[in-house]
Amino acid sequence: MSEKPTIEAYLKNIEEGHFKAYKCVDCGMIIAPPSGSCYGCGSSNMKWAEVSGKGKLVSFTVIHVAPDQFAEEAPYYVAIVELAEGTRVSARLLGFDPLKPEQVRLGINLKLDYEKGKSGATYLAFKPA
Amino acid sequence: MPLNNTNIVSAAQTKFGALTGVTLREIFSEAVDKATIHAGIPKKDIQAAFIGSFIPEMLVHQGHTAPLLLDFAGLKGIPATRHEDACASGATALRAAIMAIESGLYDTVLVAGVEKMTSVSTSKVTEALAAAADDQFESSIGLTFPGVFAIAAVAHMQKYGTTEEDMALVAVKAHKNAATNPLAQFQKEITLEKAMTPRYVAWPLKLFDCSPISDGAAALVLTSNEKAKKYTDLPVKITGTGQASASMNLCDRSDLTSFSASVDASRQAYKMAGLKPKDMDFAVVHDCFTIAEIIASEDIGFFKPGEGAKAVRDGITALDGDKPINPMGGLKAVGHPVGATGVKQAVVIYRELIGDAGPNQVANHDTALMHNFGGTGATCVVNIMRRADL
Repeated sequence: MSEKPTIEAYLKNIEEGHFKAYKCVDCGMIIAPPSGSCYGCGSSNMKWAEVSGKGKLVSFTVIHVAPDQFAEEAPYYVAIVELAEGTRVSARLLGFDPLKPEQVRLGINLKLDYEKGKSGATYLAFKPA
Repeated sequence: MPLNNTNIVSAAQTKFGALTGVTLREIFSEAVDKATIHAGIPKKDIQAAFIGSFIPEMLVHQGHTAPLLLDFAGLKGIPATRHEDACASGATALRAAIMAIESGLYDTVLVAGVEKMTSVSTSKVTEALAAAADDQFESSIGLTFPGVFAIAAVAHMQKYGTTEEDMALVAVKAHKNAATNPLAQFQKEITLEKAMTPRYVAWPLKLFDCSPISDGAAALVLTSNEKAKKYTDLPVKITGTGQASASMNLCDRSDLTSFSASVDASRQAYKMAGLKPKDMDFAVVHDCFTIAEIIASEDIGFFKPGEGAKAVRDGITALDGDKPINPMGGLKAVGHPVGATGVKQAVVIYRELIGDAGPNQVANHDTALMHNFGGTGATCVVNIMRRADL
């Protein structure tokens, strides 16, 4: 946990099912996805941070027409999730019927999960808490 | 202080659509000829060129396009630079030209935008367009461009009660205006029922909420005050310009119902021009998706946040409304050859302001605003234009 965070390591953590955020060493702000400078104080001094895995649904869509590499997975949800630690991430949303998006309510509580795509990649994901 | 030395003296576009049998450089050259020699402006008068083009490397396998295009169009030798800011490439090229004239470096310059999108497969175009989103954190989980605007739509619907039908009404208006625009890709009206056909691209956005894949080019000639009278009795002045950027990632934005770069660029342009939204007779905004027009109409200050949809329902933004928006049909129905769009928007405003818009002429045409934004809204350019006789 002491090494300087990199994007490559951030993506590898997700791939291995162990999501970690960045944390600004100078002001303590939690940051994800990675940024080269803190949203709060502008510092570029970062370390890793474990997160609670709790979040809320901010907004979402259901992708029906997908790029070639994701075509077999469509339709699928992509959501904006606000973590309990304050930062927001883009992630897959699990646990809902992609053909019934009107049943999904914004603001619901979510928890961290992962989705193994048909392409072989692992996506950051959230499901209802 | 308003800008006072930048004049548009000529403006033209090619037809937009699937232009088969012609390549990038031929489309470009046609727009340049229309804006120069066909308008009585000798090419030898052009001192420099500012070119907007998004991604010809992937669409037609051609980089370093500015000198290539200029050479083909008979303008070899002058300084030529390409500007790339995704869908805002045309407007950032225009801004560079404005700065070149205002600085006194040049008296007469060309601004042109071009894209050739239909010579590769739709999946290749999708891949190329996706390059304008964040590849590592958003495209990599399968978020698409329509998806980005769908997420904004869901947030807007939740906060303000905007409906899928409101968005469909933007498409109906766009097609109605484009029906009388011979340069439009779709010269055909559509019914509300057709616009509501549930062919989802990214829920809640449907096929008719999305702008099409298009080829096309547009060109402008800009001059200083001293030279303007040589070419026309009725130039159009650019009196205010603004540009802002925002985070590329949607997840890094605190508000998904508004695009901060649009708000910031608008404020800069209004302040520079010394004008307010109420002073604008009409606007040309970046309606890459129907929801984008609704949000833009709020971000440029024409309507309060959340009231853009009502303005569409009430016909305020129609061609004969109090605040017409996209009077010739917008990106939605005229087409969206990415690098050409920002320049074409200025062409539309020029034609409307000088009273040369035919059946698409707006009633009041003294002052107008153009809003061009790039990618996920990470770049926005806003310009305010007025007829020079005011």
